[in-house]
Amino acid sequence: MRELVFLLEEASAKAMLQSLLPRFLDARIQQRLIAFEGKQDLERQMVRRIKGYANPSARFIVLRDQDSTPDCRIVKNRLLGLCAQANRQATYLVRVACHELESFYLADLSAVEISMGLTGLARRQRSARFRSSDQIEKPGLELARLTNGK
Amino acid sequence: MAPETLAIKGLGQFERFKAANAFRRLIESWHVSDFHISAARGRKEATGESEHLSQTGENLPLVARFLFEAHPKTFQTILDKMAHRVPGIASVEPKLMDDGYLALRFQDGSFKTPFLDRYVSDGTIKMFAYLVLLHDPRPHPLLCVEEPENQLYPKLMAELAEEFRLYALRGGQVLVSTHSPDFLNAVALDEVCWLVKKDGATEIRRARDDEQIKTYMADGDQMGFLWKQGFFTGADPE
Repeated sequence: MRELVFLLEEASAKAMLQSLLPRFLDARIQQRLIAFEGKQDLERQMVRRIKGYANPSARFIVLRDQDSTPDCRIVKNRLLGLCAQANRQATYLVRVACHELESFYLADLSAVEISMGLTGLARRQRSARFRSSDQIEKPGLELARLTNGK
Repeated sequence: MAPETLAIKGLGQFERFKAANAFRRLIESWHVSDFHISAARGRKEATGESEHLSQTGENLPLVARFLFEAHPKTFQTILDKMAHRVPGIASVEPKLMDDGYLALRFQDGSFKTPFLDRYVSDGTIKMFAYLVLLHDPRPHPLLCVEEPENQLYPKLMAELAEEFRLYALRGGQVLVSTHSPDFLNAVALDEVCWLVKKDGATEIRRARDDEQIKTYMADGDQMGFLWKQGFFTGADPE
């Protein structure tokens, strides 16, 4: 049985993928989203989770935020090293996808505008600041500011 | 006799139906524990059931006094455990008052005069109530405990789980309902079942029958983590 297993650092990432995945993941592929309690918890338990996973044809994606680490490649290499300890060759991917989860939301301000019932947000996507949302270093704060803390 | 009365209740009263009689006595000594801390603390009437703790724990002072007088060794064990488990408490001492009430005095390391039990926290009283319940010299054949984690320090869950296990080894079967990952982390694969609501009915799943949980546990995992990470299929709210 084909299965895609996401190892995530927190429940908010799970919430996002739960609504996002059904829109583009083949419905024949089963999915499991494992949310850990922060990055330390993720790094402590991920080897065991991958290693002991019962479905032999499962594939794994480890998703982590860059947060304030200056170089995302260091984070990625460390996570790849942990994956290698699980002895399941070529079944995993590591993605340090963004600074924080909120970077994704900043890249789609019109969606934020609609879901929060705000006005005038979508227009700002074209401004220099929001054109490349992953360059924003504290996207969580930025998003809170844009939505007045909602 | 009321129409809903079961035959076992009637038949069980006759000495010559030995099996029915034994079965009735077994069911009648099942015990459900759901402590109400406010009922358990403070002064009580000096009469009532005093050998077993009641469902709500309101006869705690009476049972404590019974243990103190009839089973001093057991009582001392309980006090020693309390001193270990309540932070800042150096010792716990019983004091029999003139009116027959047994007061517990908690000696805090940094105070000269001890506290009386009515001034200590809910968690402390609850721990004491569990120790009294679980050190019962005559264990119930079936003990059901409702969410023991409430008001207790999470780290104490491991000790409490061990205590329940010892009670079971002394002859009583113990059924605990819990939502505590810490409690779940402290128990063994064979000891865990979870409930799944399906089409309006409740199904019971055994943890050891789940291949994935079994595999992880064989590799030294803990079920509190597995539960929180969603491996207890069907248990989580959608």
